[in-house]
Amino acid sequence: MKDASKPLPFGRAVGGVFDLALEGMVWSRRSLMMALLLGLPVVFGVLYRSVPVAKLPTQVTAADLYGVIVTVYIRFLVPLAALFYATALIADEVEGKTLTYLLTRPVQRAAILTGKFAACLATTLSLSLPALVLAFFLLTTAQGWATVGASVPDLFRDMGVVALALLAYGALFTLLGVVLKRPMIPGLLFVFVWELVANLPGYLPRFTLTAYLRSLLHHRPPAEGLSEMFGQVLPAALCLEVLTALVALFLGLSVWIFSTREYVMEQ
Amino acid sequence: MTRSRWVVLGSAVVVTVGALVAMGAIYLSPARAAVGPMPAEGLILPADTRFVVGLDVRRFVQSELYTTNRRTMRPESFGELEEKTGLDPERDLDQVVIAGGPSVASGRRQPGLVLVSGRFDRYKLSRAIETSGKGVTWKDHQGTTVYMFGEGRKGAEAAAFLDDDTLVFGSQAAVEGTIASRVGGKAPLRTNSALMALLERVKPGSTFWMVGDQSLLSNLPQSVPAPGGSDGASLQLPAVQNLIVTGDLDPQIAVEATAETADEVAAKNLADVLRGLLALGALQGNQKPELKELASAVSVSTEVNQVHVNARIPHALFQSLQPKKAAESPAVAR
Repeated sequence: MKDASKPLPFGRAVGGVFDLALEGMVWSRRSLMMALLLGLPVVFGVLYRSVPVAKLPTQVTAADLYGVIVTVYIRFLVPLAALFYATALIADEVEGKTLTYLLTRPVQRAAILTGKFAACLATTLSLSLPALVLAFFLLTTAQGWATVGASVPDLFRDMGVVALALLAYGALFTLLGVVLKRPMIPGLLFVFVWELVANLPGYLPRFTLTAYLRSLLHHRPPAEGLSEMFGQVLPAALCLEVLTALVALFLGLSVWIFSTREYVMEQ
Repeated sequence: MTRSRWVVLGSAVVVTVGALVAMGAIYLSPARAAVGPMPAEGLILPADTRFVVGLDVRRFVQSELYTTNRRTMRPESFGELEEKTGLDPERDLDQVVIAGGPSVASGRRQPGLVLVSGRFDRYKLSRAIETSGKGVTWKDHQGTTVYMFGEGRKGAEAAAFLDDDTLVFGSQAAVEGTIASRVGGKAPLRTNSALMALLERVKPGSTFWMVGDQSLLSNLPQSVPAPGGSDGASLQLPAVQNLIVTGDLDPQIAVEATAETADEVAAKNLADVLRGLLALGALQGNQKPELKELASAVSVSTEVNQVHVNARIPHALFQSLQPKKAAESPAVAR
């Protein structure tokens, strides 16, 4: 007979929570909104292909547009997607007072958070990577296929950076969601205010995530203002090391806090 | 399988198919057999090449910049050249690759070698060379006819057809060495690992490009006058170890240059000097607004020991920077 008091093995528990969380995340209004937001590069690609080239400003090339789109994607859209999904992992359960039901199951708390985070990552990757790939082909093939081969390494690099950005921002916002009751405002402030520090001179950009992610990209669209004056690119090895360490730190802290914290539901 | 997993699977299929198509694009790319922007035939250039410059003539000629300014940019001698040799560079040339040898300072001066690919009327071109006089002689070298200009003299030059589509000219020794490499199926440039590494970093498909090591830059000034340095004060320029330049002409003139210095500090110093020069240009904006525009079209950034200079110059701005024709002045005065 099955012992119901014994927790499920970690792997099986993660799988179960992943399926449950994925079902709730993919088929939601949030996903519809995010699909529209993360699908913007495809919209731009279709627009570029459908508007006669003669009507476009002569300064805009398909390759430039792709570079700008990827830069904006990493700077704003990917953090926003991570913010909307990751802060909701626990905060929504607390808000909806459904966390109690989850915690009374014979599942380790670490498995709950891991499963939910994996579902968050799978959802955001499923929405963002196809959009990036489609936008790449729509834009780079505008002048034919002859020069596509030369840009392919950039595509693979961009896909890797998007995945890394979702992982890093996702881990940070999961931590915010675990620690704070209403993490959305601090998260928005982080994305739209604190990350601007990446454009300042000296060592300050190293306290942002975007400086490391931006440095991993090869696209360097012409910048203006502070970023033009102080634009610096950090070494790729350092960026990967720091981002990996931060992801481990944020996720480790999230799991530890979630496992030890007492959640009191408001009546 | 749940419907959510189907969504994730569908997304993974789109990404995988995209990645496979992208890999196919690399495999089928015309530049695959080459290294970076260098065509495969360019690998027969000498191993001691210190810098390589390339020009995609087709892209250049088809660019908006050239077509709109064809009257001023097309050398007058092209008409005469076509009459004598049947060669119209605008129509017949595809690519020009110029390779430079060791510098004078190294004591092993090797003049440059030029590799031109395109469609040639070999008979007419050969006849034109043979009948041009001016001490032209020719001989057979490993089955290839080499035309020599000033044979026996120091610094004699030569030209030869490597095949129907490739013409090489430069010093006699270099041309003969290139023929020997081709006949022997060798690719000497591949043994120049430093230059190969630089070439691999250049994106294929640019209208013009250049890579070079420090010997190319050894003749550059080591210092520039400091601002307000009437007392002879000057700014020391950090030594550049290598340089990569790529550029396109459409839809605007886009040039990307990457200079590698000894360390991060030197890179920052060089970037600061460049930014200072741009700021000086911007200050001239009152007298010449186009200079201010030019300064804002150029951005400088650093990445460890590398300095990136990125310039995006609209054609209109480029035109405004051209010196006004002397003939126009009296008309304006009148």
